[in-house]
Order: sequence, then structure tokens, then C-alpha cells
Amino acid sequence: MFEACPGSKMADLRTIDRQEDASGAKITSQLRQWPVQLHLVSPTAPYYQGADVLLTADCVAYAMGNFHSDYLRGKSLAIACPKLDSSQEIYYEKIKSWIEDARINTLTILVMQVPCCSGLLRLAQQAAQDSGRKVPIKYAVVGIQGEILKEEWL
Amino acid sequence: MEQYLSRGIKEVVTEHPKVGEVLSARGIACVTCGVGTCRLKDVVEVHGLSLEQERDLLTEIAAIIFPGREVEIPAIKRKIGIRQGELKYSPPMQTLVDEHSVIKRMLALIPGILEDLDVSAPEDRRTILAVVDFIRSYADKFHHAKEEDILFGLFEPDLEILKAMNDEHGIGRGHVRAVLAAIEKNDSEEIATRLLAYRELLTAHIRKEDEVLYPWMDEKLSVSQVGELFSRFAATDMQFREIAARQEAFVKELEEITKNKEELTNV
Repeated sequence: MFEACPGSKMADLRTIDRQEDASGAKITSQLRQWPVQLHLVSPTAPYYQGADVLLTADCVAYAMGNFHSDYLRGKSLAIACPKLDSSQEIYYEKIKSWIEDARINTLTILVMQVPCCSGLLRLAQQAAQDSGRKVPIKYAVVGIQGEILKEEWL
Repeated sequence: MEQYLSRGIKEVVTEHPKVGEVLSARGIACVTCGVGTCRLKDVVEVHGLSLEQERDLLTEIAAIIFPGREVEIPAIKRKIGIRQGELKYSPPMQTLVDEHSVIKRMLALIPGILEDLDVSAPEDRRTILAVVDFIRSYADKFHHAKEEDILFGLFEPDLEILKAMNDEHGIGRGHVRAVLAAIEKNDSEEIATRLLAYRELLTAHIRKEDEVLYPWMDEKLSVSQVGELFSRFAATDMQFREIAARQEAFVKELEEITKNKEELTNV
């Protein structure tokens, strides 16, 4: 029997009970820069210098309700899709440049639970390993309903 | 019950020794702590107990303090989450744990060093002085300096658990000063007493830090603070790299000597 790739397997989440925010307060964006796509950013842009950098898979911000307040706040961002994006050797060079040239403080990698997403972690780990400087790397896996399934320092 | 939660653990255990037994049964080693000023509610939070474990523990403690009375068990307001799964440290905290491993290797060698010690004999004297040099330069200047000057500085200075850890560092330094004084007097017995006391103190101290303090701190530190710690520890490593390498080599050498002695004894 044909099994869909877990990354594109259909899941209908419409029937899930959701806790609504009754206050109706506008949620402030924590984004501190533009652009955000990893192909478009310069790794040595001022907002990466000595920063806590958040590298997330594209889908993460859609799955996590509290993405801005829980993860983006205080960090500089880049997004990428390890499954669909091309020329990922450029990503490797940019991550390496964050560590060596922008001398970032930490790197946090957020990916979805689907297996193809782990490619982003492997890419970042390889770049970090090949860098002449070390930084703490935190890794978290997000479920398709936005829950944190795993979070640890590497 | 609320008022007991805000009292120092040593005070509570002294008043109700069975509370100490209840804590010990759960692997919470407050009874053997040399300081014991942490508040009962901090003890519950810092050990990362689940809500169920917290309630069970407080119910048992309440039964000891207020026998035969029905007491309302308050839920402790936590500043950090409940710990899950095995311990995994942040990178800077892992370096402290790794340094503890080197110190523990030295502590393990102390009883063998003290066997038939005659500090008036040049070789024994040299060994004891080298052990003191290890404690002072590696455990104290290099490792404890990282803790006291850098790590603890990221937390409120009046936290009881930090005061307790600093007090234990102070007690350890007192033992080392006493060892140096005893070397001057050629008093092998006093050297042995003080080094064994130091060994006992540090063994319990390291266990508390590895299993309780560091995981608790890791939960409280922001990602940015972890990065800051990592950089500052790296700078300290660079500053002390020769001392650290020399002392790690000394522990290895002492282990080799001890191993050879044991092999000769067994022949």
C-alpha cells in the first residue's frame, strides 16, 4: 500500500479544540529585520553581528501559535526549507559566515517533526563543525499543531 | 504549612529530623548539606519534582510537622518548568561538569595518597604540595572562579542556594589552608583529616551542582545568557590553558602511579 511521505502526508486539523485569546489584544511582531529568507540575507548584516540567531524551517512559524513571543523575541532570523530549496551549499557558507564573521552569540534551529526537516540541522551542524569558532547550538522540533516535541542544547 | 515552606531546610530538619529522612528517601541530600539555608519551597522547585511528586512530598512533610491534623497542602509557585527526561546540559554548563570529572578523579586518589603518609619524607611532602597546588589552581582558581565570578553573577546574589554553594567553597578553602599549616608542622595526621574532609565536602558539593544546581540554572538562563557564558568561559579557558593542561596531566600521572602500585601489591 502506498504511504505518503510524512512531510506531505495530509492531516485535517479543523476539528481540534482551540483555546481562543479572549482579550482580542493585537500581538506585536518581534521581527527585527528584513529580508528573512536565507538566500536573501547577508550573513554579515548588522543585525546578525554578535546576535542570537534563529534559523527555522519555513513551516514553523505557521504551526506555532506563540512563535513570535516564545522564539523570535530578541533574535535575528533566517528561514529555509531543507526539502525544497535549491543551492543549499550557499546556506552552508552563510551559516559558517554567521559563526566566523558575524561572531553570533548562539544559534537556535527550529524544525518541524517531519523527517526531511532534519536536513536543516545536519546542514547547520556541518557548518558549525567546519567553523574555526564554536557557538552554542540549540535545537527544537515542532509538531504540526505547534507543540514543542523536543528541545535541547547540542 | 506556608510558613514552613519559607524556612531554611536545616532549621526544619533540626526541628523535625524525620523530614530529613523523607527528603533522603527521594535522593534529596539536604541532610548532609553543610549549609542548609535553602528554603523548603526552593528545595522542592530546584529538584525539578513533578506536581504529583511535590504534593506527595509536602503531604508527608505536613504529616510529620502537624501529626493528626488535616493540613492544606499549598502548590508551590514555580519560576521554572518541571524537569523531564535525562539531564542534558547547555554547552557552558557541560564544561563545568567535565571539569568536575577531573576534580572527582583527584578526589578518588586522595585515600591512596594518604596511606602511610609521612609528610617529613621529601617524596610524600612533594605529593601533598602538588595535591594542594591542584586544588588551589585547578579546582579553585580555574573552576570555582568560573562559577563564582561568571556563572553566579548571572543570578540574584541573595539566592540561598548560591550562598550555600559559596559557603561550601569557603569551607573547602579553609581545609586547604589547614593542610598547608599542617605541612609546616609536619603533622601528617592533620593533613589526612583535612584532606579527607575536603574530599567528602567536594564529593557532595559536586553532586549537588551536577544533579540539582546546574540543571536548575540551565532552565533559568536565557539563550542569550548561555551564549554569553560560553564566550566568557572560553576566555577563561584560554587564560588558564597552561595551568589546566598541567593539572590534568598531573591527575593522569598520579593515576598511573597508583595503578602501578596496586599492580605491584597484587603480584
